[in-house]
Amino acid sequence: MPSYLPLFTKALTDSWRSTLGWALGLTAACMLYLPIFPSIGGSSQMQDLINALPAGMTKALNYDQIATGPGYTQATLFGLIGFLLMSMASVSWGAGAVGGDEESGLLELTLAHSVTRIQVVWERALALLVRVAVLSAVVFLLVLGLNGPSQLKIDVGHLFGATVLFASLALLSGTAALCFGALTGRKVYGIAAGAAVAVIGYVFNAVGRQSPDVGWLLNLSPYHWAYGNSPVANGADWGAATGLLGISAALIVIAALALKRRDVGV
Amino acid sequence: MTQAIVVEGLRKRFGRREVLHGLDFAVEPGTVFGVIGPNGAGKTTTMRCLLDIIRPSAGTISVLGQDPQQGGTALRRRIGYLPGELHLENRTTGRRMVEHFAAISGSVDPRYVEELAERLGLDLDRQTRKLSKGNKQKLGLLQAFMHRPELLILDEPTSGLDPLVQQQFHAMIGEAMDRGATVFLSSHVLSEVQLTADAVAILRDGEIVTISTVEALRTAAVRQVKFTAAGTDAHDVGTLLARVPGVDSVVLRESPPSGHTGKSVEARATLSGQVQALVQALAHLNLSELVLEEPDLEEAVLTLYAKGSPSREDTPKPSSVREGAHHA
Repeated sequence: MPSYLPLFTKALTDSWRSTLGWALGLTAACMLYLPIFPSIGGSSQMQDLINALPAGMTKALNYDQIATGPGYTQATLFGLIGFLLMSMASVSWGAGAVGGDEESGLLELTLAHSVTRIQVVWERALALLVRVAVLSAVVFLLVLGLNGPSQLKIDVGHLFGATVLFASLALLSGTAALCFGALTGRKVYGIAAGAAVAVIGYVFNAVGRQSPDVGWLLNLSPYHWAYGNSPVANGADWGAATGLLGISAALIVIAALALKRRDVGV
Repeated sequence: MTQAIVVEGLRKRFGRREVLHGLDFAVEPGTVFGVIGPNGAGKTTTMRCLLDIIRPSAGTISVLGQDPQQGGTALRRRIGYLPGELHLENRTTGRRMVEHFAAISGSVDPRYVEELAERLGLDLDRQTRKLSKGNKQKLGLLQAFMHRPELLILDEPTSGLDPLVQQQFHAMIGEAMDRGATVFLSSHVLSEVQLTADAVAILRDGEIVTISTVEALRTAAVRQVKFTAAGTDAHDVGTLLARVPGVDSVVLRESPPSGHTGKSVEARATLSGQVQALVQALAHLNLSELVLEEPDLEEAVLTLYAKGSPSREDTPKPSSVREGAHHA
């Protein structure tokens, strides 16, 4: 019964429950945030309220453009709740892919069969990519569907670009988690690395936007690389997307080489 | 034909701690090679090195004529492996797990899977998390045997199995032998190995104490001898036994004459080596009772463990070996 990409297929089918769960979470986030835009973000009172807030705070929360549909979607969905859910999903899958599998003792038996370690890493990384892409597609379609009813006025091309960046950013956390899991054989180090990429990226963006003195922090923030120019409003920075995906690819290569070299399950 | 497994100077170090101190052994093709030793002796580490799950710190390994690291997937397809600590996924059934391993190891006859499951009494459609330890072990055995590998590497294969299934397991080993397969298995108790193994290596603290055949162990093993002879006295019996090679620890008890019989002597002794000389000597006596026990191979092994550490007071974990014997 030889089959094509057996580890990839298994990783996908084994995680359909969690994929569905995260998809439902993202759907709920879209359905809660976007339909209320006409009554919140779009109203002049809201803009007055935002203007009354300290400028540092609105910048930290990316609420400076919240009065427009694209700005609201960027700040609430792609920049905050969606980013949080996607990063969590991606990190948990990434950390489990090699580190978690090894820690639970399952990887030993898999490797005793006719697979290479590089194959294990790359098929599971591919499964991670596909799941992140599926969740991103769900978000893309929901925003597209709510675009008219919620009066968001988002350009479809810009939405697509923003979704690609959204996916690339989450994937980076996931591949960092996969890489550190593969380096150490421990799930917890993978989770720590993946969470660090997401949290540090977010914090460096929030702090870096406060003043030009700390503006250099923005250069270290993957979050800023992706969202610095508000892609929902202005279209994607494709260079940033390529860069994010390139780093993810490099992390996967490191993971594969590390796993190939070391002892498993000790 | 080349040897199935050749290990030379195998050392393995984890950080500063060396757990294998230079193992040398070879396994002839078509034989069963047993490794026994207490927990922590290095059996599992050795097996993991054979499968390239961990890499040796020094020494060379050849499995089916290839270096495990070079051999890669093609080599591992020819091997069936049962890990000592078998971990199974929770959210799956035995059937799905088996199908997955078949997908990555290739050329598995589904009918043979069904046959093995039936013989082992394993329900493949139950959720793995609901399986008892014994049933999980059956699933582990099934995935090791299902592709009819040339080499079986089985770490504590009978642990958790009830005696009927153990018999079935021995039959499966026998069939593997019939098609020319080689079996490398480990146990912490000799009784599990002695039924199947042609050769036995005794491993202790990362070193091979001895490699021997079960026959040789049996010969070296000590039997308990007990008999009662009538019409003689302790002195005569003592003199007689003193001339028999291998007899030791003689204890004699003389009973006073009762009824029409004369004095009788009850003797206890130990015998190592061949029984022939003893039997000939005993033929001169008028025996009313004779017990010649099966040699206790566990004892023989324990003696060897002890010889491996002459300087140590604490005998190396004989308790664990004993414990194993009970549920075996």
